[in-house]
Parts: sequence; structure tokens; C-alpha cells
Amino acid sequence: MSTPMLEIRNLRVQVEEKEILKGVDLVVPRGEVHAIMGRNGSGKSTLSYAIAGRDGYEITDGDVLLDGVSITEMSPDERAAAGLFLAFQYPIEIPGVATMTFLKAAMNAQRKARGEEELTTPQFMKEVRSASENLSVNREILKRSLNVGFSGGEKKRAEVLQMALLQPKMCVMDETDSGLDIDALKVVSEGVNKMRDGGRSMLVITHYQRLLEYIVPDRVHVFSDGRIVKSGGKELALELESKGYSSFDKVAGSVADGAAA
Amino acid sequence: MNIAIDDKVTSAEKTLLAQLAGREKALADSMLREYGLPSRKVEAYHYTDLKALLGQVPPLAGPDLPDSIQRTGMAGPDFAGSLKITIANGMVASLPEPAGGVSASEVSGSALGERKDVLVAMNRALVDRGLDIKISGKTGQILHLDWQLQGDAVHVATSVGLELEEGARAVVVETINGSDQAHLANLGSRARLGAGAELTHVIIDVSSKKVTRLHTVEYEIGRDAQLHNLMVNSGAGLSRTQVFSRFAGEGANGDFSGLNLVGNDQHCDITLDTAHGVANTTSTQKFKAVVRDRARAVFQGMIRVEPVAQKTDARMMVQGLMLSEEAQVLNKPELEIFADDVQCGHGSTCGELDRDSLFYLMSRGIRREEASAMLIRAFVEEVLDSVSDEQLHGELSAIVQAWLREGGDGVPAGKDAGK
Repeated sequence: MSTPMLEIRNLRVQVEEKEILKGVDLVVPRGEVHAIMGRNGSGKSTLSYAIAGRDGYEITDGDVLLDGVSITEMSPDERAAAGLFLAFQYPIEIPGVATMTFLKAAMNAQRKARGEEELTTPQFMKEVRSASENLSVNREILKRSLNVGFSGGEKKRAEVLQMALLQPKMCVMDETDSGLDIDALKVVSEGVNKMRDGGRSMLVITHYQRLLEYIVPDRVHVFSDGRIVKSGGKELALELESKGYSSFDKVAGSVADGAAA
Repeated sequence: MNIAIDDKVTSAEKTLLAQLAGREKALADSMLREYGLPSRKVEAYHYTDLKALLGQVPPLAGPDLPDSIQRTGMAGPDFAGSLKITIANGMVASLPEPAGGVSASEVSGSALGERKDVLVAMNRALVDRGLDIKISGKTGQILHLDWQLQGDAVHVATSVGLELEEGARAVVVETINGSDQAHLANLGSRARLGAGAELTHVIIDVSSKKVTRLHTVEYEIGRDAQLHNLMVNSGAGLSRTQVFSRFAGEGANGDFSGLNLVGNDQHCDITLDTAHGVANTTSTQKFKAVVRDRARAVFQGMIRVEPVAQKTDARMMVQGLMLSEEAQVLNKPELEIFADDVQCGHGSTCGELDRDSLFYLMSRGIRREEASAMLIRAFVEEVLDSVSDEQLHGELSAIVQAWLREGGDGVPAGKDAGK
């Protein structure tokens, strides 16, 4: 079996000295899309931040491997250059930083970190033009400051645009469906689906089954109280939808069904 | 700081008194004898205790021009196509022929008016010949006053008077630069704006960190005149820029803005006093400071609205960004309003780089230093974007960029960085 794209081993994470993740085990093989479903407060977002390396998310035990390499000692930018991308639940508005300047800085920083040539301005412009056409991103918004004055849908589309430009190996999408109406959800999902190419892996975090109608996962994991309590195929999402999360609470604390794919 | 020091004549005061000996104007001498240099007990100098901060005073600059024009590490700023007047150690290198509505000459004495302030009094006592510039008509060309502090450490007292005639328009940029020595500069700039005149007045200090710059700026803004003031400081180890502005005619407007970019042990003070003395005048104040290492940035802003000054509209915003634990931002906004039909507001904020923004940028692969620099540039751009002249804006951006580079890894590395 080839090296998994993402492997999380017994991950324990504290935030402000409170343990939030209590031993997460998860394997996302190359090319697969996995979903993590859990109610609010179950620690889903903590998992995404811990994977991305946010300050203040202290790993007390366990390991996170990206394509076979431990990333827990890396800074967030090093993880990004290694091929990780986190689509934020709430993309940050940064007044005064032009979106285009940001996009170019990010693309070139990653290329530089990987020892590749930086993009020239015409190359960069071409890439942005084609990616924004593919994703139906209004290029007018790219003239603004980063995420400033973007609608909820525009913010999420801009996240997917960044993903398309940065071409990561592993995408973690944190509640990408929150704040989206059904039309925006379709557009964003289409964008994500276009990036499923058999090599790239994705971890989609959500608490609604709805998103998974559009981004159909290979595996679904149920998250409760800081760990994965059940894993299964895409039908597990439907089961969750009909039975609710509470039916899985009793599983929490007992032996989890692991995450072996 | 020891309070008892106030009773003692400091070494700086002794030297200054010796330098004032035999000068005509007695006010400086008597102020120094009676009160000494202002200490923190003096409200206007509360955060800039000159008695404690001013160390050795170098000898007064001689009458000869230093022959070497050395610049400190930072090149420029220079403005292609500008009308440039270099004043080295208080001496005017050469005066341009009157042209394009600009006529410059040397006059005896300081341009500053009498004021009960020891820096002003010393400037008036020590300036033998000041620069006097009359501007008529609308000049498209930047007038660049290139103040140079050259050679070995000297005490330089110098001044410029700007007179904008009715309807005149000009962009005047003063830059302070020079050799890497512990100069003391006492500068005076005075601008009078006639009716309907428009002045963009920019003061840029990129001098050596060994320099002490004491700078008094006076404005008198006439009827329907427009002043756009901007002060950018990244140089000088110790600086005090004090601005006294008077709105003297109805319809006058003044925009005041500034940027203190400081690091190491720099102490940089901008103190602004705007007096609305007639009805229907407006002013805005926007000041920002970015402070790293153990540096201190001070901003004191006073808006005075006199009883006759109805319909005054005055707004002040002060923001500080601290990049280290020991950095200090000291802001004191003040309002003194004696009219009842006015709109005045002030706000002051102070903080660190936003962690969420930093994480967001880094999560896209941008290194911490570059992400910090992007956020700092965004913070200061809000002050610089009022500069419509592209060349000037470019030079100012270059100063910000140079300051960021100078910090190197001094740009914040959080303790919990790079987990």
C-alpha cells in the first residue's frame, strides 16, 4: 500500500491547557476524499487548525504525517509549501492587503520554498484569469483588499480559487458550506470537484450532510468529544442525518472504529 | 527617573547656556536659567523629558560648509525633477534663481514666531540667517528642502519660512539626513497660507539614529486655504516634532498626518496643537506608529476650539502597532472646546499584529517575516494613501520598505512561532 496522503496518529491537542483532541487516528489515502462530521464543539475546527499549525494549538501527543513526513514541527508556511491547504470556515478580512498582491506572494513563496522559479507577472495574471473563469469568480472582487467587502459566498469561492492556484496535495476544508446558499454551495462544490484528480486528497469538515451531496466522499468519519467514534462509507452521512449525532455519543469513549480505510 | 535631577543644571543645559551667551534674544537664556530643559513635570513634555533624555550637546556648527556630503546608510529620498535646496549644517549651499513662482532668499533671524517654549526660544536665539521662500501661483514641481547634518557632530539651528500667496499651490518636502554622528538639530519651519492657497507639506526624517532633532512647525491657515501635512520619521534617535497650527480664516482646512517608524532605543515624539480660531474650519488628524525593540513613539494631539469657532469639524485618529514586548506607544489625544455648535471626535487604539491575519497569510505559504511586513505595510498605507503625488508616494513607500528591511528578523517572531 502506498504512503497515505494524510496520516494522523493518536493526536492529542490542548488549547489554553484544555484538552480538545483526545487521540485522533485518521488515514486519508492518496486521491481520496474523506468527510468528518460532528456537531458544533466536538473539536472539528481544532483538528483543522492543529493540522495547519496555528499558534496556541499545542500537540501533547501523537503525530501528523503529510505524504509520509511529520509536519508537527513545521510552521504554517512550511506546511503549506509541503502541500497542505486549509480552507477557512471564516476567511480573514485583511484591509490594506490587495488580493492580487496576496495571491502572488503566496504562490511565489511556495514556489520559492520548493526551489522552483517564481512566476512572472504575466504568468501569474494568466493563471488567475483562467482559475477565476473556471470557478466563476468575479474578477472585480480581486481588485479589493483581501476578503474585504466579499459576501459569504464570495469569500468561500475565493478560498477555492486560492486552492486552485496553489495546487495543494492535501486540502482540509473547514465548514466550507457554512454561510452559503444553495447556489453558492453548488458553485463551490463544483470547484472542489474539479480538483479531484485521483492524486489530490481532501478532508471535508462539516456538520451537515447537505455538502456531501455535492462533494461525495469516499469515507465518512463521525467526530465526537475530540475523537473519531465511527467511520464508514458515504451512507454513514445519511444515517447521521436520520438518527442525529446523539445516537453516536454512546460510542464515544468506547473503542472507536478506528479510521483505517 | 530621579525628581531631584530637576534642581540640578545638567551638562546639556550648561553647554546650551554657554552657546547662548552673547546672543541677542534673552528669552532662551532666561527660560533655561529659570526652568531648565523641560522635564516630564511640564505637561507638554510629559512623555519626552528633555532634561533626562538630552545628553551631550555638540558644538555649534561653524560658518563654513562641510565639504563632504556624506549620507547615512539610507540613500535618498530624492525627487527627480524637483527644485532642490540643500541646507548643510544650517548653511544654504546655493539658492535657485527665482522661477516658476518660487522665490527663495536668506533673511536674518528665525522664521519662528515668539512662543514661550524653550525649543522655539533657542531656535530664535541661535538662527542667524534663515531661509525664506515665497510662492505665488501654482507650482507643479516639488520643492525639496534637503536639510543635511554633515561632518562631525554639530549643533545646528536653522529655519525656513514659507509664504504662500493668495491662491498659490505647492508641494514642499523637507528631508533630514546626513552623517552618522550625534548631531543636535533645532529646526524651525513656518508656513503661512494666504486665502485659497493649498500646501502639501511633508517632513521626512531619515537621519542617523545618533541624531537628536527638535523641530518646531508653525502653520497659519488663511481663508479657504488647504493644508495637507504629513510627517514621516524613521530616523533620529531622539526626536520631538511640535506643530502649532492656527486656523485664521473661515473655510480653512488642515489635514495632519504622521507615521513614526521606530526601533532599537529610538524615542520619537509628535506633538500637535491645532487651534480653530474662527468659525467654519475643519481639521483631520491621522497618526500611526509602528514600534519594535525598546523604542517609544509618542503622539500628543490637542484640538482647541475657541468660543467664536462655531461649526468647527475636527477629527483625530491615532493608532499604534507594537511589535515587541518592550515597545511603547504613548498617545494622548486632547480636546478643548469652547464653542457649542461643533463636531469633534477622537479615537486612539494600540495593539499587536493581528494573530488571525498572520496565521491566515502563513497558512498560504507566506513566511512569518513577509506576512508581518505585509500587515505592517497595510497598516501604514492608510496614512500614505492620502499622498496623491506618485513620485512622493513611491519615495515614502521605499522608506517604509527600508525600515522593514532594517528590522530584519526584528519583525516579530512570536514566542510560540513555528510549532
